Amino acid sequence: MFEAKMLQSSVLKKIIESLKDLFADANFDCSSSGITLQDMDSSHVALCYLKLRSDEEGFEDYRCDRNITLGVNLGLMSKILKCAGNDDVVTLRAEDEPNILTFIFDSKNSERVSKYDIKLMEIDSELLGIPDTDYSCVVKMPSHEFQRICSNLSQLGDSVTIDCHKEGVDFKVAGEQGSGAIKLKQTTSVDKEEDQVTVQLNEPVTQSFALKFLCAFTKATSLSDTVNLSLTQDTPVVVEYPIAQHGYLRFYLAPKIEEEN
Amino acid sequence: MDLSDFTKDNSENAILKSIVPQICKDEPCCLGIDEAGRGPVLGPMVYGVSFCPLSCKEKLEQLGFADSKTLSEEQRDELFSKIKDANDFLGFEVEILSPNYISKTMLRRTKYSLNAISMDSAIGLLRLAIEQGANIKEVYVDTVGDASKYQEKLQGLFPRLEITVTPKADAKFPIVSAASICAKVVRDQVLKSWIFFEGDDIVTRDYGSGYPSDPATKHWLADNMDKVFGYPQFVRFSWSTTSTLLENKAYHVHWDDEDEDESAKGTASLFSFFAPKNADPRDKQHSFFEERHLKRVESF
Repeated sequence: MFEAKMLQSSVLKKIIESLKDLFADANFDCSSSGITLQDMDSSHVALCYLKLRSDEEGFEDYRCDRNITLGVNLGLMSKILKCAGNDDVVTLRAEDEPNILTFIFDSKNSERVSKYDIKLMEIDSELLGIPDTDYSCVVKMPSHEFQRICSNLSQLGDSVTIDCHKEGVDFKVAGEQGSGAIKLKQTTSVDKEEDQVTVQLNEPVTQSFALKFLCAFTKATSLSDTVNLSLTQDTPVVVEYPIAQHGYLRFYLAPKIEEEN
Repeated sequence: MDLSDFTKDNSENAILKSIVPQICKDEPCCLGIDEAGRGPVLGPMVYGVSFCPLSCKEKLEQLGFADSKTLSEEQRDELFSKIKDANDFLGFEVEILSPNYISKTMLRRTKYSLNAISMDSAIGLLRLAIEQGANIKEVYVDTVGDASKYQEKLQGLFPRLEITVTPKADAKFPIVSAASICAKVVRDQVLKSWIFFEGDDIVTRDYGSGYPSDPATKHWLADNMDKVFGYPQFVRFSWSTTSTLLENKAYHVHWDDEDEDESAKGTASLFSFFAPKNADPRDKQHSFFEERHLKRVESF
């Protein structure tokens, strides 16, 4: 038996909304320690990794007797979640050898209880082992700031060069019709912590990435006030959105390769 | 002249040759090389060589050769029968390079240009003449590309021969004119007797000279296109005329792997950074099986 009761359906809604465009079908791996989801986009350049820990406060109840995998079409899941009110308590339930996943939405004052079942899918996906490494540079910034940078720069070109140095971080785009650059300096003077830009730098990094994917990642902006970008030269960038009282949602994007000749 | 070898299968090249006159084996000879149908977008390209003893040069001149392009078709046919009649001192060889062969070699993965095809054909014919016993001493060639480079290449391959590569060789040397007439006449006959293996009913025969600039040829190309299959093998697919027409007028071909997410282009694959987690290396089959979609089964 698997049962997870989440206090806020809006969190799950936002997670699925941010994933469903790049990742059509995905496996939720449920164990006693929580729910994880790893999936790659069809071109194998972007990967998402979701972790919802069972011991965090976001779950009112969490029970998972056996490790199970729930293969779900995220488009369908998003439609189901739209049927829930933002403040509804959502319960996910599945048997030990599940064919279906049940969603139960409880409105706050318990006047209404709705129940939806979706059929599970057998999804053949390749899990990648992602090593825990120290990154050369970790940039923490307000998530809406990152979203704005990505959407502004995507007007001009397809790929952004992120340049981390000791003064701050530069985002540069060069397109056929024009170019643009946004410089962010470290701000320590701002009162609110979530509005700060901090750059932890061990080594400078300059790397280019496809803007289309970064823009897609920023659909998760509403999940978190801040976003962490972790970079190391010639490795995928990690875009991490912490999810309060639950865990985090991370996106990995492989870097652009320098064109030969 | 017997074209049956080629008409039986006009997708492959064919070589026609006269007997080598005894005098050509005994006396030192000169040999001319020229081509017909290099430019046209359809039909074969034909390479011709002719050779005769150096002592018979005057006899050759009396036959009245000139550049095949300046002669009318009747004049050429007449001269060609003179060449055949002069088999006591004049020999010739012709190679028909089928349009299918031209398309396929020019479009293959490793580049093989028309110049290289031409040179290789010329070299092949020259070798053949020597193998047949002709005592070749002097060679005259109408140039393809840069004359000095071509000359160097030939001289390197045939160090004992006296080789002259020059533009307009067919106007300067009667022996090259003879070769040029052989090539041109053969090309004309091949065109006339062309069998469309795709079916005679699908095409008309008023294709003009075959040069891309000829209005009749343009018309023919526009009228005889199949939107799915393009053109019969008669047409050289490696000509830009053909590919432009197919691009614009025929059905567009959609290649699945071509537009596989344009935006991901230029980005490395995640597989080059992260290894699959639970893949047992012993389970991994050799790529031979994967590429051929061969899978293990437990029951049949």
